[in-house]
Formats: sequence, structure tokens, C-alpha cells
Amino acid sequence: MNRSTSRIITMAAIAIMMVLPAFAGDYPLQVARNVMMYMALAITWDMLLRSGQISFGLAGLVGLGSYATILAVVRGGMPDWLSILFAGLFSGLVAFGIGFFILRLRHTYFSIVTLALGEIFRIIIHNLHDFTGGPEGIVIQQGVMFGGKSGPLYWLTLAGLGVALAASYWFEKSKFHFALTAIRNNEVSAKTSGVNIFRWLLATFVITSAIQGMIGGIFVQSYGFASPDSVFSADFTLLPMAMALLGGIHSTVGPILGGILLGLVSEWLKLQIPYGHLVVYGLMIIVVILFMPSGLLGIARKAGSRKSTDENQRRAV
Amino acid sequence: MSKLTTTDLTRRFMGLVAVNKVSFSMDEGEILGIIGPNGAGKTTFINLVSGIIMPTEGKIEYKGRDITYMPAHERARIGIARTYQLIHPLENLSLLENVMVGSIFARGKSLKAARKQAEKLCAELGLENLDRDPSRLTILEVKRMEIAKALSNEPEVLFLDEVMAGLNADETKDLIATVQKIAKERKLAVGVVEHVMGVIRELTHRVIVLEAGELIAEGPYEEVSKNTRVIEAYLGGAA
Ligand SMILES: Nc1ncnc2c1ncn2[C@@H]1O[C@H](COP(=O)(O)OP(=O)(O)OP(=O)(O)O)[C@@H](O)[C@H]1O
Ligand SMILES: [Mg+2]
Repeated sequence: MNRSTSRIITMAAIAIMMVLPAFAGDYPLQVARNVMMYMALAITWDMLLRSGQISFGLAGLVGLGSYATILAVVRGGMPDWLSILFAGLFSGLVAFGIGFFILRLRHTYFSIVTLALGEIFRIIIHNLHDFTGGPEGIVIQQGVMFGGKSGPLYWLTLAGLGVALAASYWFEKSKFHFALTAIRNNEVSAKTSGVNIFRWLLATFVITSAIQGMIGGIFVQSYGFASPDSVFSADFTLLPMAMALLGGIHSTVGPILGGILLGLVSEWLKLQIPYGHLVVYGLMIIVVILFMPSGLLGIARKAGSRKSTDENQRRAV
Repeated sequence: MSKLTTTDLTRRFMGLVAVNKVSFSMDEGEILGIIGPNGAGKTTFINLVSGIIMPTEGKIEYKGRDITYMPAHERARIGIARTYQLIHPLENLSLLENVMVGSIFARGKSLKAARKQAEKLCAELGLENLDRDPSRLTILEVKRMEIAKALSNEPEVLFLDEVMAGLNADETKDLIATVQKIAKERKLAVGVVEHVMGVIRELTHRVIVLEAGELIAEGPYEEVSKNTRVIEAYLGGAA
């Protein structure tokens, strides 16, 4: 797959999302909102992965952002839209603080610690009963944003996805691309070229965490409710990972492609096997890693290069 | 003027003393050979002065400034560059983009300026078809790319760790001429590690000899090669 094909896929996906509310009913729009939310998470997960760091902390950050939003609204009386930005800011700040410690870790250690941190956030919220509502959760009494109308909520979610897309595109076109690719390839040689590894990892971790937290904020503003089980759900970690892996990692278009395919499949699966769909994502991650490590994009790229070598051979004859 | 000096530089790995009280200095425009048998500590010495590992004892000064514990990426910025014995081109970046990295991060250039600089460096090193993936380069091209990459830091001191290894006689001659040219034009201080003595004889103004981490001899190649301790070190390594 070459650059122009990637651009066409991205543009087509955005175009479909832009016109969807004009003719789709409430239920398809709700499905689309879920797909876009997971897609945004997949994109930001991939952005950190471009440095070689595998985070298992997606659910932790979504949960953190969700509670930042709902508590700011319920306990602090913050306006709805501001509470979503607040979730981003708060998650970014938390990421900045913990990044100082955990971004010195690598590989499995980093992954496990991100998983553990998410669990720690969940347990803290679970136990601060008076403030957070504890295990029963907390409801926005004054109602959700836009009175729960599916049209405006759709645009809100699309805006969240837009932020993730813009950030990812910016990463691809800026010094981030060189810094993260160099770090992923070989940290020793990156240092020798003057890359301040810690600084670039910290910036990436803060930016992606802020967006993930903001997505959490959009999630609770759409449903008006947060409980430790709902906003720290393993779905938020596994589904975006499966999407990015299926589509093809280290790019913006991969998670978009995987997001559309798997997003639709997952909504269907949730209806078919309400308790078993996580198993399917888990299996999918395993199968993709084992048999198609560079995802659908990789397969397309291979097909493309096979074609061009054929052409070269023909030309040579 | 002396660019880089070390004083009693020492690095231990557990019980092993890989570099043992090495004191040396390198001047502007000087090509210095760093020789010694396998495991003598040559690569470890370069790792120490480029900041990839930190010394156990001793001192490193660059242009009169103490840089003993300065992080590697900062050393890249103040003018120290190197290549690696085991080369790792950056995958998913083209030949040109590989050569941009030093300009972007060590020099802080914009992507556009870095691209221009990398094009210039590649032309200087005789590299063509810059959109290629590094996996498609010949050995000689990879070596040239590594040198171009190091030069993109715009260094004043450059270490080349066995860049000639794996090249045939013609290619080696070619690369010797290239190194001489870039060193002269930039008044670079170059530290060259090589096992082929012909290369050392032709390329260097002066050599230092390491054995089991210690600096055992120093001087022009013709002199050092007659030194009995050096001959013993090499024979000992061979036996
Ligand atoms: N990170 C490390 N940990 C433990 N021992 C090390 C490490 N790096 C190097 N050594 C040891 O230090 C000694 C010097 O190694 P070094 O690689 O510097 O030698 P060298 O002179 O470059 O050898 P060669 O000519 O084979 O490249 C060797 O005994 C090596 O095994
Ligand atoms: Mg070596």
C-alpha cells in the first residue's frame, strides 16, 4: 500500500463519518460513536507504540478521564464541554507525573506497570466511596450533554476522533516521526544522533494519555454514568490494541482500517455473545501477532511490492 | 589544540577491567589509530568517550570542559560523533532520512534544512538513490551511510569503530580516501579502530595501542609496530 492509497482510505473514512448523521438513525449513530471512540484509542495507542513502548494502560487512562469529567461536573459544577477538556488536562498531568518514573522502564516491565497503574486508579476510585460513589458508580443528575440527542453526541465523538487523527498525522509529519522511529530501532544509536530519548517519550506519553483521558470524558458525557467496572473495562484496552494490530501498526491509516472492520464486528459480537466478546479480541490479537504481524497494511504492502517486482522483471526481459 | 583528553579513564564490568587508567589526547585535524587485539577494550573506550556507558573512574574533557558524566545525546550536540562496529540502520526510514537524524536532533535543524543537509552529505559521500530502504544497500554503501549519519551531527571529533571491516581491497582504498578527505576539509579529530594494519599505516598520523584495557604504547605507526610489547600483545592474542 502506498501513500496515496493510505490517504484515499483516510479521506474516504472521514467523508463517510461526516455524512453519516444525515441519513443514519439513532442506533447506527450510537454504533458509529462507539467505533469512533475505540478508533481514537487505537490511534493514540499506536502513537506510543511507534517508540517501541507497548502500553496496557488504555483502560486506566479512559477510566481516569471518565472520573475526572464526571466528578468535575457532579462535585465541582463544571460546565459539560469544559469537563471534557478537563479530563484531557488532568490525564495529561497524571501521565507527566508518572512518566518520570515509568518511562525509564522498557519492554515487559513498562507494559506490566501501565497495566498495574490502571488497576491502581480503579481501586482508588472504587474505595473513595464518599467522593466517587464507590463500586455503584456515579450518575450525572442534571443529565448528559445535549440532552442525550444522538446527532450532537455523534459530532462530539467525531471531534474527539478528529483530535486523535490530527495528533497522529502531526506525529507522522514532524520530528516526532524521526525521534520515535529512531528510538524504536535502536536507543543507543538514537542517543548518538542527539535524540533526548526520555524527553520524546515523555512528550508522547503525555499527549497520548491526554487524548485517551479526553475520550473517557466524552464517553461519560455521552452516557451520563461512570462506575469502576464500566469505565475501566478491559474492552478499552483490548479492542483498540486488536484494531491497531489488525489494520497495521506504526501508522495512522492502520488503526483506521482495523477500527472500521473490528469496530463493526465488535458491535455485532457484543449482541451475539455479551460475555464472550473479549475472548474473541484476545484470540484475534494472538492470531494477528502470530500470522500477520504487520497487519492488513503489511499484506497490502507485500502484494504491492510483489506486483512492482514483477513489473521490473518484465521490464528487464 | 587538544580537542579531547582522558585522564586515568577506567571502566570495570564486574571483575573485568575493560579499560584501565587510559590517558590520552586527540588534536584538531589528527587521525588517531586505536589498535589492540580482540577484547582489548577499544570499543569500550569509544563507548566511554561518546557517553554510551559511564566510567568507573577517571575524567574526560572536551575542549577543556569536563564531560565525564554528560549524557550521550548532549555529547552529540557539542560535537562528538561515532559509528558502530555492529551497524543498525534505522528501518522504516529511507537512506536520506537515516542521514537526517543527526541534523534534526544534534543540530536542532528543521526537517527541511535537515533534508538539504543530508542531501549534501550523501552527495559528498557518493551515495545515490536516496529514497532506498537501507536494507537494499551494498556493504560499502552502508558504511558510507554510517559515516554520513555521524557527520550529520556536524562533529569536531569522530570515532570510526571498524568501518572498513568486511570490505575488499578496492573498497577499503576507496573508503580510506573518503575518510582522509572529510577529516581534512572539516579539520576533524578522527579516532579509527581497525584490525587491518595496512589501513592503520596509511590512514593515521599516530596510534595508541590497548591491551587488556591498558594503554601500552603510543606514537607513529612505524615506531609502535616495532615496539616489542606491542608485538608480544598481538602474538599473545594470536597464540
Ligand atoms: N557491557 C559489557 N558487559 C560486560 N563485559 C563487557 C561489556 N562490554 C565489553 N565487555 C568486555 O570488555 C572487554 C573489552 O571489550 P571491547 O568490546 O571493548 O573490546 P574490543 O577491543 O573492541 O574488541 P574487538 O576487537 O573484538 O571489537 C571484553 O572482554 C568484553 O567481553
Ligand atoms: Mg570492538
